[in-house]
Amino acid sequence: MSARTSARASTGMPGPATAATGRGGPPGARHARPKGAWRRYWPQYVSISPFFLLFTVFMLVPVLFSLYLAFHKWNGLGEMEFVGPRNFELLMQDEMFWQALQNTFLIWFMSTIPMLFLALVVANMLNSAVRFTGFYRIAYFVPNVTSVVAVTIFFGSVFSTNFGLINAILQWLSASPVPWLVNEWTIKIVISAIICWQWTGYNAIIYLAGLQAIPSEMYEAARIDGAGPVQLFFRITIPMLRPIILFTVVVSTINGMQTFTEPQVLFGINSANNASSGGPGGAGLTAILYFYREAFNNNDYGYGAAIAWAVFVAILLFTAINWRIVQRRERGL
Amino acid sequence: MELSRRRLIQSGLLSIAAAGIGSTAACGGSGSTAASGGGAKELTLWYWGGGLSDKVVADAVKQFSQTTLKPSVIGGDFKQKLVATMNGRKFVPDITGIKGENIASMLAESDRFIDLNTLGADKLASQYVEWKWKQGSTTDGKLIGFPIDIGPTALFYRNDLFEKAGLPADPAEVGTSMSTWDTFFEAGVKLKKANPDAFIIDSAEGLFDKMVGQGTKRFIDESNKFIGDQDHIRGAWDMVIKANGLGIIAPKYDGPDWNAAAAQGKLAGTVGAAWFALDLKNGVEATSGKWRVAPMPGGPANIGGSFLALTRECRDPQLAFQIVTWLLSADNQARGFTDAALFPSTSASYDMPALTGGDPFFGDQKTIEVFGPAAKNIPIQYEAPADAAVAQPFKDEIINVWTKGKNADTAWTDAVSSAKQIAGRQGVS
Repeated sequence: MSARTSARASTGMPGPATAATGRGGPPGARHARPKGAWRRYWPQYVSISPFFLLFTVFMLVPVLFSLYLAFHKWNGLGEMEFVGPRNFELLMQDEMFWQALQNTFLIWFMSTIPMLFLALVVANMLNSAVRFTGFYRIAYFVPNVTSVVAVTIFFGSVFSTNFGLINAILQWLSASPVPWLVNEWTIKIVISAIICWQWTGYNAIIYLAGLQAIPSEMYEAARIDGAGPVQLFFRITIPMLRPIILFTVVVSTINGMQTFTEPQVLFGINSANNASSGGPGGAGLTAILYFYREAFNNNDYGYGAAIAWAVFVAILLFTAINWRIVQRRERGL
Repeated sequence: MELSRRRLIQSGLLSIAAAGIGSTAACGGSGSTAASGGGAKELTLWYWGGGLSDKVVADAVKQFSQTTLKPSVIGGDFKQKLVATMNGRKFVPDITGIKGENIASMLAESDRFIDLNTLGADKLASQYVEWKWKQGSTTDGKLIGFPIDIGPTALFYRNDLFEKAGLPADPAEVGTSMSTWDTFFEAGVKLKKANPDAFIIDSAEGLFDKMVGQGTKRFIDESNKFIGDQDHIRGAWDMVIKANGLGIIAPKYDGPDWNAAAAQGKLAGTVGAAWFALDLKNGVEATSGKWRVAPMPGGPANIGGSFLALTRECRDPQLAFQIVTWLLSADNQARGFTDAALFPSTSASYDMPALTGGDPFFGDQKTIEVFGPAAKNIPIQYEAPADAAVAQPFKDEIINVWTKGKNADTAWTDAVSSAKQIAGRQGVS
């Protein structure tokens, strides 16, 4: 400590540089040190630089550009016109935007709650199964790596109103067919079902990792104290998994708020001029789909950028809320 | 989901910001041989799969051996890739296709393209259908888009189902007895009485779209004023609402559902463009021979079709224009019809053997007898760049009335207010 203060006093160099020299060593080498640090560590800097370069070119610059764009009116080819916060003002009055945001939240609720619940069940089953666990793990993970577009096309025909598999089964059970892709709630159910199908296995694998980290002594001790399987699950498994659950909730919030492909494919197959409407009543119009429609279909790139930023703020808020809710419950117990 | 957003940003905002570095590098064009003032060593041509006849394009490469013509079939969102490349100002194609739904927004930026009239296109105008020529021209008379194909509409109907219901079934008879929408709707009611499972029209949204196409005005006029709340739109709207009330419009069928319904004989009719015949043949092969084509009630409209344009960066406009006119000559358009089901925009092609033959799918009917006259009589409409965006709420609300029984008056009010909001945002007064 004394070396550091004396160094600063004698050279008048700013803090960080002196901090680097403060680790002992001859005072004469002081000026060469920062350069020497670079010389010593350059392979490390170079080896991590591709990520930062790619990130800057392909993520950071577009993100900053989109912020710039959000304050302009631009049709994609012509001159950009600065309009100040006009896009955001229009956005606040835009009922369609609020509806899109509402749709997104509803679809998130309808997909995430059953998805995480099912994932827990699956993870428990995987954790207790003795045979073929490797096979099951892969089998449950496969939906996550299949193409969303292909899966959505498949679900689209399974849920098709008049000739779909689900309605065929309903009719066979002498129930009346449901117009899945017409009604505003069933549209959301179908989209949620696709998301559930795709992400349950992914979350289950993460939960499984968490489950395997719980020491078996805890279960044994509880069993000796007379706890049944239900008590074991709610008193040990769930509390011990809380951090993992928190992680999956945050990840699915961020993913769910960006739902795009499912409604785009589901309602865009054969309607070239009405491709991104989100289906009858706009029930499947998610926030990102609305952004896509305004920017790329309607050539209003500035407004699209404004939507993207509004959605970003919504995701941020919603993630923070989820974080707090799940964490508070953890503290409460 | 994460992935799709990334791809979105990359293909969209990103490639606009960093075009020329990212996606465009793979597009086959090469800027290194850039030469100005004619005599370019190489010319690039962009089109999408099925946008031109591949055989005709291959012949063009041989035909114009004084240059290296490099055709590229661009997949994915064509307009997006074109816009991104044009903004990058590198690797811009010399000749490019423009889809019909995007031509209005491209005309708004006409200075990014070459006015083909300066290269002598005006002398060729008489060979192409007039309304299409106008569609590719700016309001001040610059020709940006050279006509590729067009989409004249007609009534596709099931001959056998019409016959069974005691309706006139011969194309000529259908054409005369159902020449107005009212008489067509009456026939629909008759058909439904005889066969409660069958519907004479498949989609309220599609019906509205084609009815709007029959007029000379759309949602925005030439002075950039919103006119979507006026009588010409309200009239089409009311007719669709009427048809919906009569119960002659089928429930909403999409994709495979549509094909299944058609195969089961639930769809006795639909209005569609000439290219729809190919979809019909692929989708419901089993009903081959039972379909016929008649003129659309209330006159023809146009759906779809596309253009070729020369970008401002074009390295040899004279030669490029020669290539374009060669590709789209009457003879080659007739070949395009055979190869890629592109309905010619040149009236001379309609008399060529490629088009005048009978079509077994339509019971050996010579469909050109319906589509040919339709193509020539399509009304000239002004389509503003924001037209599609402003039309959207009307279509959305028609769907609400059709599929969910929403009150038609409320739906109209909602559509108009929503359209006005979008119009305001898009700078339409």
